[in-house]
Amino acid sequence: MNEIGELCLLLSLGIAVYSSIVSVLGEKRKRKGLIASAENSLFVLFVLITISSATLISAFLRRDFSVEYVANYSNKDLSLFYTLSAFWAGQKGSLLLWAWLLSIFSAVVVLQNRNKNREFMPYVISISSITLCLFLALMVFASRPFELIYPPEDGYGLNPLLQNPGMVFHPPTLYLGFVGFTIPFAFAMSSLLSGHLGDTWIKTTRRWTIFSWFFLSMGNLLGAWWAYRVLGWGGYWAWDPVENASFMPWLTATAYLHSVMIQERRDMLKVWNMVLIVVTFCLTIFGTFLTRSGVIQSVHSFGESTVGYYFLVFLILTIGFSFYLIVNKFSLLKSNNELDSIISRESSFLFNNLILVGAAFATFWGTMFPVISETIRGQKLTVGPPFFNQVNIPIGLALLLLIGICPLISWKRSSINNLKRNFLKPFVISIIGGIVLIPVGIGHLFAWLSFTISIFVVSTILIEFYKGVDARRNSTGEGFVKALFFLTGKNKRRYGGYIIHIGVVLMYVGITGSSYNIEKEATLKKGESMEIGDYRLIYKDLANKMPIPTRIEVIAAMDIEKDGKIIATAQPRREFYKNSEQPISRVYNLSGLKEDLYIILAAFNEDNSATFKIHVNPLVKWLWIGGIVIGLGTFIAMLPDRKEKGGMQVIEKGKKKTESRISSTAYCLLVTCFLLFFSGSVSALTIDEKYMPLYDELSGKFMCLCGCGSLIKTCPHQDCNFAIPFRKELSTRIQTGETKEQIIGYFVNKHGERILSAPTKRGFNLVAWITPFAVIIIVGFFIKRIIHEWATKGITEEAKGSDFKTQDSLDKYKKILEKELEEFER
Amino acid sequence: MNKKQLKFIFGSFIIVVSIGYLVVTGISKTAVYYLTVSELLSKGSTVYGEGVRVEGKVVGGSIMKDPYTLKVDFKITDGNKDIPIHYEGVIPDLFKDGRDVVVEGKYAHEGVFRAHTLLTSCPSKYESADKSQFKTS
Repeated sequence: MNEIGELCLLLSLGIAVYSSIVSVLGEKRKRKGLIASAENSLFVLFVLITISSATLISAFLRRDFSVEYVANYSNKDLSLFYTLSAFWAGQKGSLLLWAWLLSIFSAVVVLQNRNKNREFMPYVISISSITLCLFLALMVFASRPFELIYPPEDGYGLNPLLQNPGMVFHPPTLYLGFVGFTIPFAFAMSSLLSGHLGDTWIKTTRRWTIFSWFFLSMGNLLGAWWAYRVLGWGGYWAWDPVENASFMPWLTATAYLHSVMIQERRDMLKVWNMVLIVVTFCLTIFGTFLTRSGVIQSVHSFGESTVGYYFLVFLILTIGFSFYLIVNKFSLLKSNNELDSIISRESSFLFNNLILVGAAFATFWGTMFPVISETIRGQKLTVGPPFFNQVNIPIGLALLLLIGICPLISWKRSSINNLKRNFLKPFVISIIGGIVLIPVGIGHLFAWLSFTISIFVVSTILIEFYKGVDARRNSTGEGFVKALFFLTGKNKRRYGGYIIHIGVVLMYVGITGSSYNIEKEATLKKGESMEIGDYRLIYKDLANKMPIPTRIEVIAAMDIEKDGKIIATAQPRREFYKNSEQPISRVYNLSGLKEDLYIILAAFNEDNSATFKIHVNPLVKWLWIGGIVIGLGTFIAMLPDRKEKGGMQVIEKGKKKTESRISSTAYCLLVTCFLLFFSGSVSALTIDEKYMPLYDELSGKFMCLCGCGSLIKTCPHQDCNFAIPFRKELSTRIQTGETKEQIIGYFVNKHGERILSAPTKRGFNLVAWITPFAVIIIVGFFIKRIIHEWATKGITEEAKGSDFKTQDSLDKYKKILEKELEEFER
Repeated sequence: MNKKQLKFIFGSFIIVVSIGYLVVTGISKTAVYYLTVSELLSKGSTVYGEGVRVEGKVVGGSIMKDPYTLKVDFKITDGNKDIPIHYEGVIPDLFKDGRDVVVEGKYAHEGVFRAHTLLTSCPSKYESADKSQFKTS
């Protein structure tokens, strides 16, 4: 059974190598058959890796401890939920999950782009395949998920720290984000390789970018939440290298998310965007390298392993290759515009970018400082949280200010009057807010600044919403809620973005609250009490419980008194697990909008006295609420725009990008104008209703040869001198009653086979198309044979160890045997 | 180069310089030596009163705890030499004889290292380092 998983991985590696070469070959030799074959390979990869993952899941469910990974991360008592999550509890499973996600994403990309972006796809396929190769090679050669061992009686069990919902969802969420950035990266590189340097790659990958950014944000946040709830040290972020590793790509991704808007709108910053997406992608790989290689000491890194160095090599190659490409095409990436004024939306975006990248750099520098200082000065120096806080707090505040300023400044150039008008209200509101908050701010300058700027930002955003709604109500007479709904719906990207910004401000509020944390430690005897903040805590009792045979819980009971009334009974616990010498503190957290009361049972003694560590953490809850608001905003920003119907109204699409710039009233007017204008050009192409489906089908079968790389159906050029006559001819031919085959034959004769969007399935094309599937079938047959052979070879072979056993696992087995013999002799 | 571009370069320059300034001052204020026990001892008086981070193994039998005042005295070693550590605060779950620990604090004149932070490197590295501990009984 497990051999199937291993074999699928081996096969996938072969196919991934095949598709990464064949797709580029197909492009160079102009053979669409080869490209189609590469596309099919990605589907096959998806199927194979899915089988492989299913095999691992089934090994977990069957409690097959002959698989080393299963034995190491689960045991018989583990609940179903955590057994499934054990899939990604360790390195090998994480690699498999990563590969699995990437194979899913690649297959989706191929599906999405069957009929468009044909000039990009060969390279996109190749780049995603190469990335897949890395993970597959790791799993085949270095870190094999299906490594077999002599099956122990019971597994080692899942680290109790990981037995928490936060930890179940944190890794896959983070990986979704990490893996997702492969897609924009692949498109960016293929735009360089194919020479189509416009903003098509950005537009195509916009949703992928937001999607990945969202999951990266949520992954980080879930990690923080898990740390807060489970690790029991009272905080949620410790600037540990592992945390920084996922924070850095988030920073650059955020920068990228903003700077692409400038390219879309103003055709500027092309090189910068390329660099940002390369850096983001590299940082996701770098993060993996950092956590796996043991280069940097971290309290919670994966064990040292050689795996890290595979990532390092891949990283160096990626950096070298992508920067070579960028430099190579540098002259072609010149901006067609320049910045008009320092007071413009563009420049505020630019500064926001600099600040974000600066924060990423500072974080990088601090994380790598032990290595850097050792290399340069021969002295190992290290920096901790104080460094990161000291640097990132001012940077963060500058960024917060920009979030507020940005929407107030118009594109291109803002007049002073314009500025005055836009800034006056929020400025006054925040000044008033700032004055009110002075008592809170004494001794906490940064916190006061943060709150005051937050007020400024929220008021600018609310005013923006209000202005939009007001304009809409004046023009349409809708009610407030309805107007708000349609305003957001019409301009999802813009207002979704504002909602995300509100979420970010809420998170700032939550983080700023940590300036006012109180912390106390005390050892109490039964009946004794202590005071912290507004609370009085009375230690009542200590009890033992054994809910399952592998776990003992020690529970302390404490009454929480506030304003002379008992408001709750806290039950902080310590849990001891049979298979782990590490006890776990289960924190009691009384969470409110104002503050969290966070109680840890740190130790207990024989005389039933107990040591408590107690935190009062103000406003923490707003951090999590902010996360939810960001989720909502992202959801709105990702909702699809209204779908275009048929092939003919597509022309409108090119104009769509203008929509968010113009306020909603003006927008309505404009669209009416466009519609009137285009109804003229469209009416030239009249076609009978009953021929519409055929026309749609056929126009999707032909490529436009004007150089746009799209189909006849979707060519974006309004005055395309290829697509428009083509459409006309097509519609006449359809209406004269010619059959599909006749029409296709006619156009292929006229323009050659390159006119077809998909290769005809004949001759060589057919062979190439079928290859991946054929390989699967043949190999499936082989698998069957091999399994059969293994099954008949008998148990002696299995006990000795199958071919899969490495020297390593043999040694391990020997050790266990020796130990057992020793015990036996005793 | 026109005036407009100059403004941008100036603006960007200010941002870059201020971030650079933050990083440099941040490092010089907060960086601490990361030393082994022998390295610390060989530095001797030069590190008195300076923030230092030291790694080492807890010497077996050296732990003296006072659970009521949350104080602990112990020794750490790098295999060659050892130094006494004094720590006040909540003791990590995994703190025991033979464990690898990292302490942060100051090396005082009387030859005792006063730690304000005591970290144990988890054996719970998500990848368990020592895999020969399967229960085979």
